[in-house]
Amino acid sequence: MCQNKERFGRKVEVTFLYMIIKGSGKAAVILWKNPVLFVCFHEAMEVQNSEHGHIIEVCGDVPAVGTSLGGSRICGEAACGFSDAKTSSKDANERSASMRKLLIAVILCVIFMSVEVVGGIKANSLAILTDAAHLLSDVAAFAISLFSLWASGWEATPRQSYGFFRIEILGALVSIQMIWLLAGILVYEAITRIINDTGEVQGFLMFVVAAFGLVVNIAMALLLGHDHGHDHGHGGHGHGHGDHGHGHGGHDEMHNHGLTITTHHHPHHHHHEAKHDDEHHHAHEADHTEPHHHYEAKHDDEHHHAHGADHTEPLLKTCSEGETKTKYAAKQKKQRNINVQGAYLHVLGDSIQSVGVMIGGAIIWYKPEWKIIDLICTLIFSAIVLGTTIRMLRNILEVLMESTPREIDATKLEKGLCEMHEVVAIHELHIWAITVGKVLLACHVIIKREADADMVLNKVIDYIRRGYNISHVTIQIERQ
Amino acid sequence: MEKSDSFKYYYPSEKESQNSWNTGFGLSVSDRRLAFSRQASFDQAREPHTPVSINLNDPAKPLLARSVSNIDIPTGLFYSLDESNKYSGEGNGSAQKFSFMLFVFSILRIMRSGNRYMKRLFVMISLNVAYSTTELVIGLFTGRVGLVSDAFHLTFGCGLLTFSLFAMAASRKQPDRVYTYGYKRLEALSAFTNALFLLFMSFSLAVEGLHAFIQDESEHKHYLIVSAVTNLLVNLIGVWFFRNYARINLVYRNAEDMNYHSVCLHVLADSIRSAGLILASWLLSLGVQNAEVLCLGLVSVAVFMLVMPLFKATGGILLQMAPPRIPTSALSKCWRQINAREDVLEIAQARFWEFVPGHVVGSVSIQVKKGMDDRTTLQFVHGLYHDLGVQNLTVQTDDV
Repeated sequence: MCQNKERFGRKVEVTFLYMIIKGSGKAAVILWKNPVLFVCFHEAMEVQNSEHGHIIEVCGDVPAVGTSLGGSRICGEAACGFSDAKTSSKDANERSASMRKLLIAVILCVIFMSVEVVGGIKANSLAILTDAAHLLSDVAAFAISLFSLWASGWEATPRQSYGFFRIEILGALVSIQMIWLLAGILVYEAITRIINDTGEVQGFLMFVVAAFGLVVNIAMALLLGHDHGHDHGHGGHGHGHGDHGHGHGGHDEMHNHGLTITTHHHPHHHHHEAKHDDEHHHAHEADHTEPHHHYEAKHDDEHHHAHGADHTEPLLKTCSEGETKTKYAAKQKKQRNINVQGAYLHVLGDSIQSVGVMIGGAIIWYKPEWKIIDLICTLIFSAIVLGTTIRMLRNILEVLMESTPREIDATKLEKGLCEMHEVVAIHELHIWAITVGKVLLACHVIIKREADADMVLNKVIDYIRRGYNISHVTIQIERQ
Repeated sequence: MEKSDSFKYYYPSEKESQNSWNTGFGLSVSDRRLAFSRQASFDQAREPHTPVSINLNDPAKPLLARSVSNIDIPTGLFYSLDESNKYSGEGNGSAQKFSFMLFVFSILRIMRSGNRYMKRLFVMISLNVAYSTTELVIGLFTGRVGLVSDAFHLTFGCGLLTFSLFAMAASRKQPDRVYTYGYKRLEALSAFTNALFLLFMSFSLAVEGLHAFIQDESEHKHYLIVSAVTNLLVNLIGVWFFRNYARINLVYRNAEDMNYHSVCLHVLADSIRSAGLILASWLLSLGVQNAEVLCLGLVSVAVFMLVMPLFKATGGILLQMAPPRIPTSALSKCWRQINAREDVLEIAQARFWEFVPGHVVGSVSIQVKKGMDDRTTLQFVHGLYHDLGVQNLTVQTDDV
């Protein structure tokens, strides 16, 4: 008996389809061709559902539980909470914004790639064609990210009771593997360049092609890294740098990243239409040191601003007032979508490698006998690219291994729970994330014999929800 | 699997539960889908459960089965907070730093006391490394590009196998504060990575075939027979080492199964590739046109078919899919049984996922009538799902 009225229409569709397929109605058929089709199986023996005939329901819908906490503490459907009205619309907005970005990036890539292919065939040059192949790999990576973004919006099925959010993480993993693969291929190509040495024409061509690739990649990095929308103070920070990842896992993950690419992005800043936060960021990068590196304490925008303060006083005011106004919003929209981040890293890696190839090409062009420099350059820059992916890889790994997310302090949570009067002990506390930002918790709470289980349950859920913003909580209350 | 009416939760003996679990899922002794078909008993790496007392009035013993992976936090401990460091394996309690070097050293220690497969894998990796370095060196000095590319391919493969070895060693670590379920997921992850690599390989072979098809004869790489044969031999040794897992469709009983299976498939695919190259050279020497395209296409398709089931299975684990070994009918049967109890109003949600094959975690949310004894309900639900193989279950009972 699903409460949601709009699901009724879909359920009717399912019923018809179902009745056509199976007369007896005991087996469970999973149809999920269409992400919009939400499949609900009703158990035939439930009397309330007589109007639907024989359908088996595994996801039970709950009559609205009016608790004093305001809002049901039980999730109504299989995709509960992950897609209740508020979060699902927010999710959908985020997702469509990210998808739009990626789509534009894909289109741009395809255009550039076809230009390069045509030019390469005309000039009959292998170097241009291999660069076109690299752009093709970019397209593939974007396609994977797009697919994961789209797929993560699918509704949950009984087989996938938590929804499809993990697909994002797997897609990001796949695209990082591709980055590694491409770095390896580039090193291999550098080695073959040494082995099959030809004249200096190679050097110049390499340089030009790599420069073109660099321009393309920078354009896409701008596109992907640009955080439009309400977070001005927040988004003004890391234009094209990915410092947006403040709340993402550890707050340290993009900072190191910023450290490695200072040299690279200096010319980049000049191309940018002059925004005030450019110099701010530039100066910020200059004295970017270790303290940013490790701590996962709440490094907000103030931290960044404080560091830039000695360089740019008036900027601090404008930034901070924008920042305080949007700080609350920033807490919600802390993290860029991991797929967009992955695509961004891919593009960044490509531009770093283009720089390396450009340098190698320039050196070979200038002095054709120093061929080994090309290989060394490529190796160095490949290592840099791999270094940028390490942090994201670590975050992905942590989610995939169901570890306690970094932003949740489990010790404090347990301590807070144990300090409640009725609670005697806590067992089997598991906190894990289904994707970055969606955290679940399960634990067994032992309470005193005479305590009121319901009241304690409410208290515990409320405490966890308020203090740690975890809304998918399953608590097993046991008496001592 | 009908429970008796007494609702007394008892912990069945190992054999009994295993047999009932077996027959419930249609896995018999002679099932060829198992890795070791001669092995009748399921020597599962299940964490030992603390036995559950039948005596309901005994407050000392825990009422419901708990796995070793739980984190017990009695209240008294928090008054001496520096003891919290005792729990954290590697990182600090608050900072949750992941100290990589300490981790690596502990893994090396564990590797020295490895099991059979770990040692075999180590031998294989060293063989591969030796082979690929010699190839690389020879290729660089003689200037043959084919050798260098082959060496690169091998190096990638070696890197992956090293990751598998690392996962094997790391998965033995006990669960700690940060990784509350343990480290066994690493094996599933390494299996996934291997499968992904094999997919990439099949894709790149297809591209290579296409390339060879488009290009004319003069630019063909003539595959080096010696290197291909050596590669084939090395990989066949690997397949022999892991011969128990040389199947396409395998039923995974625990995490190690997945990992070993992925290593075996990796080596198998490599040997198929070498065999394909040898075949292509032979056919070329016979004068067959487009021999390379044919062979490369064949190898690509073969590797793809080989790896798909593993990819799907590991993908399912990583995607938190419901455990494939528990049929939906069993789950709905449990659902109905719980609903049939008189104090249960409704089941709000029941979600299950597998941490690794064989370790199922679930969370169930039930609505009960007010004032009922939750203890018996809890016992019943736990017992019901325990028979299905769900080890960690959290049941939330809400009064309406």
